[in-house]
Amino acid sequence: MRPRQRSRSRYLAQAFAPLRLIFHDRLATTGVVILGTVIVMALAAPWVATHDPRAIVERAEGSWMTWDEDAWRVQPAIGLEPLYDLAVRGGEAIAVGADGLAKRFDGRAWTALPRITEATLRAVAAGDTGAIAVGDGGVVAWYVDDEPRALRLGDADLHGVTLVDDGRSALIVGAGEAVWHLPLAALEAGETDLEPRTTRLASPVGRGLLLRAVATDADGSAIAVGERGLALTWSPDAAPGGAGSLALLTLPSFRDFNGLHVDPDGGRALIVGERGTLLRREGPDARWVEDPPPDTRALRGAWIGNDGRAWAVGRNGVALSFDGEAWQRDVTGTERHFWAVAEVAGRPLAIGSDPFVDKLAPPSAVHWFGTDHLGRDLFSQNVYGSRIALLVGFLGAALVVLIGANVGLFAGYFRGRTDTILMRIVDVMYGIPFEPFAMILVLLFDPSLLIVILAISLLSWRTVARLIRSQVLSLSERPFVKAARVAGASDLRILYLHIAPNVLPLVFLELAIILGASIIAEATLSFLGLGPPQSISWGGILHNARLSGAWRTAWWWNIPPGAFIMITVLAVFFISRALEVIANPRLRGR
Amino acid sequence: MSRTYVLRRGLQAIGTLLVIVTILFFLFRLGLPDPTVALVTEGLSPEDRAVIRERFGLDRPLFEQYVIYLGNIVRGEFGTSFYYKAPVAGVVWEKFANTMVLMLVAIVIAYLLGIPLGAYLAWKRGTRTDTVGIVLGLMFRSAPMFWTGMLAVLLFGVALGWLPTSGMRTLPYEAATFFHKVFTLDFLRHLIMPATIIALFYLGSPLLIMRNTMLEVYGEDFIEMARAKGLRERDVLYRHAARNALLPVITQLAVTIGLAAGGQVVVEVVFSWPGLGREILQAVRTSDFPLAQATFMLMAVLVITMNFLADLLYGALDPRVKLQ
Repeated sequence: MRPRQRSRSRYLAQAFAPLRLIFHDRLATTGVVILGTVIVMALAAPWVATHDPRAIVERAEGSWMTWDEDAWRVQPAIGLEPLYDLAVRGGEAIAVGADGLAKRFDGRAWTALPRITEATLRAVAAGDTGAIAVGDGGVVAWYVDDEPRALRLGDADLHGVTLVDDGRSALIVGAGEAVWHLPLAALEAGETDLEPRTTRLASPVGRGLLLRAVATDADGSAIAVGERGLALTWSPDAAPGGAGSLALLTLPSFRDFNGLHVDPDGGRALIVGERGTLLRREGPDARWVEDPPPDTRALRGAWIGNDGRAWAVGRNGVALSFDGEAWQRDVTGTERHFWAVAEVAGRPLAIGSDPFVDKLAPPSAVHWFGTDHLGRDLFSQNVYGSRIALLVGFLGAALVVLIGANVGLFAGYFRGRTDTILMRIVDVMYGIPFEPFAMILVLLFDPSLLIVILAISLLSWRTVARLIRSQVLSLSERPFVKAARVAGASDLRILYLHIAPNVLPLVFLELAIILGASIIAEATLSFLGLGPPQSISWGGILHNARLSGAWRTAWWWNIPPGAFIMITVLAVFFISRALEVIANPRLRGR
Repeated sequence: MSRTYVLRRGLQAIGTLLVIVTILFFLFRLGLPDPTVALVTEGLSPEDRAVIRERFGLDRPLFEQYVIYLGNIVRGEFGTSFYYKAPVAGVVWEKFANTMVLMLVAIVIAYLLGIPLGAYLAWKRGTRTDTVGIVLGLMFRSAPMFWTGMLAVLLFGVALGWLPTSGMRTLPYEAATFFHKVFTLDFLRHLIMPATIIALFYLGSPLLIMRNTMLEVYGEDFIEMARAKGLRERDVLYRHAARNALLPVITQLAVTIGLAAGGQVVVEVVFSWPGLGREILQAVRTSDFPLAQATFMLMAVLVITMNFLADLLYGALDPRVKLQ
């Protein structure tokens, strides 16, 4: 028993010799720490990643952007609720949004108004005494300085509000072609239900269409617009105190209208709608004309000034401006959806945004490495990418070393014809250029993880085989091998129990070197689009970046995957450098 | 080094090439889709397909095709590219020149910088300079070239606008011969970025080999002797040690040049360099057998020749090495 035990302990000591070497070398220790971190990251990817790496991330926020000199600039979001409408009074603006959000803007900063309802507010109008907002489920919010309150008008969704009768009444429009005439005095009456004190006007169309916006005209009348080209004019009664009446307004378009603005001084007006619909009126009595749109996506917010300049905003960051002659598309650099635009204190301001796909977003607190062209989280992709890199790296290296070491052992031990045949095969392998061959192999078969690993390892074992063979050649002349043979040990026993443990440190060295090479090879194949399909890898992320064309600007997309590859391979190199001492003891003194 | 050794190794190299050509021939025929399917647009009638197959000899038995193919190679005929409808030799030759001019410039830069730097690091062994040098060298080696290339394009091409980001020349251009194309300032501007990226990647290899062999040579008696003679450390380093340490670097250089044609496909892709690597990728994708075979054969020939040369160099330069 005793000799056997001794041999086993020697076996173990031999096997662990590389570990000692690694921890005596500072760079190698660093390498172990880094590689260990990457391995932990790969194993714990679902917990480390902040998002699903394949999921397209949508995000809502209180977006706003301002026109500075000559371009729109998206400002840091105010809160997480989207903003839906904007009303201007003097140099101030009031914006309302989801979940009863209401904010005041003084030209520079936003201040919150008390949240008096949980319902989503769709529209707001500002008068001398206060601001009135309407929203989902018939909610009417009345913002006055002393006591803001929430009231109710029916239970249908309300979409538009404007002040008429010189600011004494509000005209409210909404779902089901509803047009309500509400005297503001009713808001002060102290009752929550406004319906008894409000007049619902009969629509001349009566098809139950949705009215989306309403605005007061220069002459004191009002215009309401809605889906399928619906447009109504409201005219006040000749005698004061009446609710007025509605008439049909025929416009040169039958598209859905989303927004409307009338300049109260000059009487210029602008209606915007689906598919880039732009209807403009040059004065109170001028005809409505349809302008050719520079972009055919949905427009939602409109604003026209006294000088004829106009703005329109819409989905996916669309922003148009009119200089008095033609519309042009302005670059916003965002995919946010905008709902309203207005000039506040002489400067255009636009607000949005319900859930939008956060495409090509630069790094932020939510997306640490930003997002890609489809709005997927890049940090999570990079975290998951470590899995493929390490899987292919380790499996490939293990396969290479397994084949290479065995070929080397057999060739070196049996010599003669075995050696000649095996080494001629190795010679042929040395004549094949690695990278093109791996590419061809992957192209010849259906791409899969297995074929990528095979492509990488099919050639790489040549170096291992040569190295191990030369070591075995000298080892098999040693006395302990002869002693084993004399003792009657079989060839395989001598090979695997006596010789193999002695080449083990060399095997570890090769394992480390091949590991680094495999990781780079996998990244290269993936970069060329030949990687395992449906998998996320560092090379694949860069492939996507190149394919999308956005890599020329989106630095946050390019830098991390390559940095991960570099750091991982560098760590492996550090480790293998310490192990080189095994193969070349003369380096020990360095 | 005996003449028989050279002869035997030479024959071996030719045998290796034959095996590789054979493997490739059958790998392509059996692995790739029929070129009339891959290359020609859909809606080709069976009759037309048969005509095309006959014209390119694709209707003959596989083994007969193989024999014809071998005979043609010996006569130096590589056939007609299915894709370019032009002799393969001309196509491959142009792409080969494009690749080699890029790779050779890069390799020369890498070795001209790497050798003295490696010697310097060996001289400074154990110091902070040494560590920084090693880490930098390893860093360049571990950073994938497609990544460093993309970052270079991003920084110098797009953000700063200093250098062109793709191709060999600004389009459109006219050049009668390869030399007319290459000997221009415009070409040089296109060359800078890809060549630098490849050079940086290759730099680590001569640097580290040189440093390690220098350390080995430093232990030899003749260095002690030179020091004992009272030579300055600098002279010991560059005149005595460096010359003897060059040997493995030079054989490595030969091997590296051998691999150059197979080159750096990714760099050619990133910089849209019209080289051999991109060509083989496209040839395999379109089942262009003659082009793919000739391209790969050229790469293999270069590898085998340079490996052979490296072996001979090793024997010729180091009298201690006995080749048999």
